[in-house]
Amino acid sequence: MKIFLRSLRLLASRPIYWGAIFAVPLFIMLLLSSLMQNGIPSQVPSAVVDMDGSAMSRRLTNNLASMQMIDMQNNFGSYSEAKDAVQRGEIFGFFLIPEHYQSDLLGGKAPVISYYTNMSFYISGTMTYKAFTTMALMNKAGTVVSLAQSVGVDPGLATAMIQPIAIQTRGIGNPGTSYAIYLATSFVPCAIQLMIMLTVCFSMGQEIKRRTGPRLMAMAGDSPLRAVFLTILPQTLIWFVIIMFMESWLFRWQGYPMHGSWLWITVSELLFVLACQGFALFIFGLLPNLRLSLSACSLLGMLSFSLAALSFPEQSMYIPIRMLSFLTPIRYNFLIYSDIALNGRELFFSRWYFIMYIVYILAPLLTIRRIGSAFRKPVYVP
Amino acid sequence: MKIFKAIIDSFADEFRLVLSNVGVLLFLIGLPLAYPPIYSLIYNAELVRDVPLVVVDHDRTADSRKLVRQLDATQEAHVIGYAADLPEARRAMDARDCFGILEIPAGFQRNQGRGQKSDVILFADMTLVIRYKSLLTAATKVSSNFGSTLKTADSGLIGTIMPEDPMPVISAYLGDITGGYDSFLMPGILVLIVQQCVIMAVAMAGGIRRENPRFRYPAGPLGATLGGRTLCYLVWMILPAILMLYYIPLMFRFPQAANMFQVFLFILPMLISAVMLGFSLQGFMSESESVFMIWVGLSIACLYLSGLTWPRYAMPDAWKVVADLIPSTFGILGFVRMNSNGADLAQVANEYTALWIQAAGYTLVAIAVQYHMRKKALRRA
Repeated sequence: MKIFLRSLRLLASRPIYWGAIFAVPLFIMLLLSSLMQNGIPSQVPSAVVDMDGSAMSRRLTNNLASMQMIDMQNNFGSYSEAKDAVQRGEIFGFFLIPEHYQSDLLGGKAPVISYYTNMSFYISGTMTYKAFTTMALMNKAGTVVSLAQSVGVDPGLATAMIQPIAIQTRGIGNPGTSYAIYLATSFVPCAIQLMIMLTVCFSMGQEIKRRTGPRLMAMAGDSPLRAVFLTILPQTLIWFVIIMFMESWLFRWQGYPMHGSWLWITVSELLFVLACQGFALFIFGLLPNLRLSLSACSLLGMLSFSLAALSFPEQSMYIPIRMLSFLTPIRYNFLIYSDIALNGRELFFSRWYFIMYIVYILAPLLTIRRIGSAFRKPVYVP
Repeated sequence: MKIFKAIIDSFADEFRLVLSNVGVLLFLIGLPLAYPPIYSLIYNAELVRDVPLVVVDHDRTADSRKLVRQLDATQEAHVIGYAADLPEARRAMDARDCFGILEIPAGFQRNQGRGQKSDVILFADMTLVIRYKSLLTAATKVSSNFGSTLKTADSGLIGTIMPEDPMPVISAYLGDITGGYDSFLMPGILVLIVQQCVIMAVAMAGGIRRENPRFRYPAGPLGATLGGRTLCYLVWMILPAILMLYYIPLMFRFPQAANMFQVFLFILPMLISAVMLGFSLQGFMSESESVFMIWVGLSIACLYLSGLTWPRYAMPDAWKVVADLIPSTFGILGFVRMNSNGADLAQVANEYTALWIQAAGYTLVAIAVQYHMRKKALRRA
């Protein structure tokens, strides 16, 4: 009990812990959910290059301007002007209508229309691409239908001939393709994982750096397990509160999809905290040194954002990297979220991920003796 | 002359500090060497190919099979099998055997023959947006292609008066011309890593100076010593910056359309801002390891605020203001447009000016912070 209170006092007395436990996670939570409030960044700045200036090209320009996804900002006179605007970052794409567009079209000479999208900015580039593709196809279809009508074909038949099948794509659980849903639900816990691991290593390392390890061991009756467990426990309780706040924030107040059992998501989040702490203690046992363990946790924590396949599928990675993607607890947190919250699946499908949590929680038992001996004989190189 | 000496002395002093400390060296050498290649390798597959897909075919005709074959033939989708009904397909999805379900309605072929449209539905797993995008691309390709093959088969009267394709459409990607994920994300991440190396190294060095009595504050006018110390980090960063901004894109075949000389001119004010931000942070670092606790976690915020993934025009104004305070925001925007889109320095003039303003601003903050720190240290001594 004395150890618990001592650790709690240490946590409360140092601003660095307040920053790491409260300020950083809450800041990231607020940032990721409010930055993408709208879900998708519609109204992408874009432009048209109308080199024809005819009635038909103006109609096409007006149609483009009426699209919700893009915001037609300018009508440039040439390709190079538009490209310059892309390079200056003013627009993310442009639609080019060639010279003699109208007369070629009426004369049956097949004018070529083209569009250019800046894929260096993935989301905006993709949005403009989608809008331009839709418009180009619609425009083409309109042309074909009116030509067909002119030779006496039923317009309904003509439409079916141009697009005999329409494949409708439906995203399960996130029908509006909201980026906030997809991003915040994985990146916020990943940031919390990083902070949990850093806090564990920092507080453990302090015992060595400030040479308070021997006293701690004496208080714990020379049992490393007791010393470590009781020192970490106050943090665990605070993180439980933070992670519950995160769960309510994401799935209740922000209204992100929650199609499964609240109970199991809650269990998952709580076990996730313990798993992160277990993993960090395991690492600290391997490298019982403040700076090295912090470096290792920073490296793993930062790599987790991409390694844990939160945005790029693990199936597409190279095999050795694919194996590494299962290294950190966030991977399992993410899979459980995807199973239970997003897709509303039965617990059965997530069973292995829960078992992995348990493995992380038990992992520090392997290295705890090393922590004990490091506490007994603290060595710190400034 | 005295000023010159102060600059040289503080340069040498900071250099000794950096060399003597494994922690700082880790940020200045370890991080630039290890991080960019690992990161680039993770996404190096660039595209998401062959997303597994299950088909529920209520029609079971020649046409519906043709549709499935065409979908399977795309780069993006891979049909792993048929399911009898939606619940069965859903079970395959629940077990993560597939990430999409294609449902073809009954009467598909009959509708084709009648010249009526039929609605085919593709259900996609939304865990990862990029996988959804691959399925969507496959669906778009197949549905427009299916139309054109059918049309040429029985165009009849129209075929005689209309050219094969009355309006060819060409689409081209600019910048990241293959549309690959690695080539999109990594140039920005590289700039961010450059910034983080500098800030963390400088902030950690501050903690060491506070903890280790061997390193006193160099004597001389504050401006000159700060100048010398800044120069030390700029010199240290020359090789890592060349490695990260030139060789890593070269090794991983990211777009590289920029004039390298201009790139380094562009990145210089960002480096200065980062060093000065580091010197400012020194005032808040009670010990050398504190920087891990505060700054590492904020990297992800820097990335999202930069406007590389979530565009600036769609950000709430308050966040834009926060983003304007971070050097990497302008560093990333400018570098990506130079490196990927081939912009020259004049075309990123807005970002370049912003970076120099930041450099000036953070220099003022750093001078104030360092003035107080030195006074406190002298009082203690």
